Amino acid sequence: MPTRTVSEDFTKGLWKENPVFRQLLGMCPTLAVTNAMINGLAMGLATTFVLVLSSLVVSSIKKLIPSQVRIASYIVIIATFVTVADQFLAAFFPPISKNLGPYVPLIVVNCIILGRQEAFSSKNTIGRSLIDAFGMSLGFIIALLVLSAIREILGSGTFFGHQVMGTWFEPWIIMVLPPGAFIALGIILGLANKIEEKTKSRR
Amino acid sequence: MSLSSRMVMVLTTVGVLSGGFLTTVGNLTKEKIALNKQREIEKAITQVVPGTYSNKSLYKEKKLTIYGGINDEGILLGYAIQATGVGFQDEITFMLGTNTELTRINSLTILEQKETPGLGAKITDKESFLQFWENKDCTQPLSLRKPAVSSPEELALSEINTITGATISSEAVLNTVNSSLVTARMLRKDGKLKFEE
Repeated sequence: MPTRTVSEDFTKGLWKENPVFRQLLGMCPTLAVTNAMINGLAMGLATTFVLVLSSLVVSSIKKLIPSQVRIASYIVIIATFVTVADQFLAAFFPPISKNLGPYVPLIVVNCIILGRQEAFSSKNTIGRSLIDAFGMSLGFIIALLVLSAIREILGSGTFFGHQVMGTWFEPWIIMVLPPGAFIALGIILGLANKIEEKTKSRR
Repeated sequence: MSLSSRMVMVLTTVGVLSGGFLTTVGNLTKEKIALNKQREIEKAITQVVPGTYSNKSLYKEKKLTIYGGINDEGILLGYAIQATGVGFQDEITFMLGTNTELTRINSLTILEQKETPGLGAKITDKESFLQFWENKDCTQPLSLRKPAVSSPEELALSEINTITGATISSEAVLNTVNSSLVTARMLRKDGKLKFEE
């Protein structure tokens, strides 16, 4: 493994290895909860909580876990934090918990989280794993916010619940429905590939 | 130590530790979650039976709970009917407020729904749907007006505007309201909805 600086470990999640735009991981929550920005942000934060704590635990006990049972152990650890996040939201932020519905428990199977444990936390120090987890989480939050901003503005005419479009604007209802998620994500991924191509050819 | 016993040990330890952790968190949040639910119901009762000071659960079955809204002098003001019916995506739970004779609907509020955002989810929207339920005569079974009319004045006494593009969700609420009113009337006739101080 090539040695990387701390800042590279953090920033790679933002663009170069962005979980949504570049790795196409965690598509289920990305498509499902981005119909409003507040839901996107809440999902991003809940995922951050789970990812950071799972990375912390996995990187600190990585030497104790035999490789044959590592996936099972990771899943139990991840599921524990997901359940905590779910109950915390239900207890302290009931409206958000209601909006996110079954998608909070589904963080368990979000590939980003298991993927980071397998690809990073199980091979790196605690500090580096935390930095990696924060970077990836931030990248995920940014991706969710970009997608939900597009969908909320076009689909409801609002930005974080505040009216931004005039009364002349007829909301494109399709944008808050599942097809809108695919259309918006497809266009964003196309643009992301285009930008990546350009930066590559410039190098 | 052999590999298999190490595997068993690690998995057991991980399982036991996370189980213990979850029990703690579960105990810490359990009361708060129950309180949130109760508060939400109380708020809905006060909303659909205006003037409610306290409430009492008068009847309870799996998908229907009837509360009595009571004012500060201990007089029954009306009933708040919490009912659950099958919607387009999942179950819809609402709170319906009526007078003490069950002949007039005060208003309706949706407690839980998972209808399509932008379409069926408009059942929670006052302008598109809930306003038509305000002060509605319910001596006759209610029916839907489809296609929807632009102003509430054009609706007949027992008519509710349909949400354009979400007939199933509108119908689901309407049918559950009608059936729960029938049940409530029967219960009232049998003297099961009496409120005694």
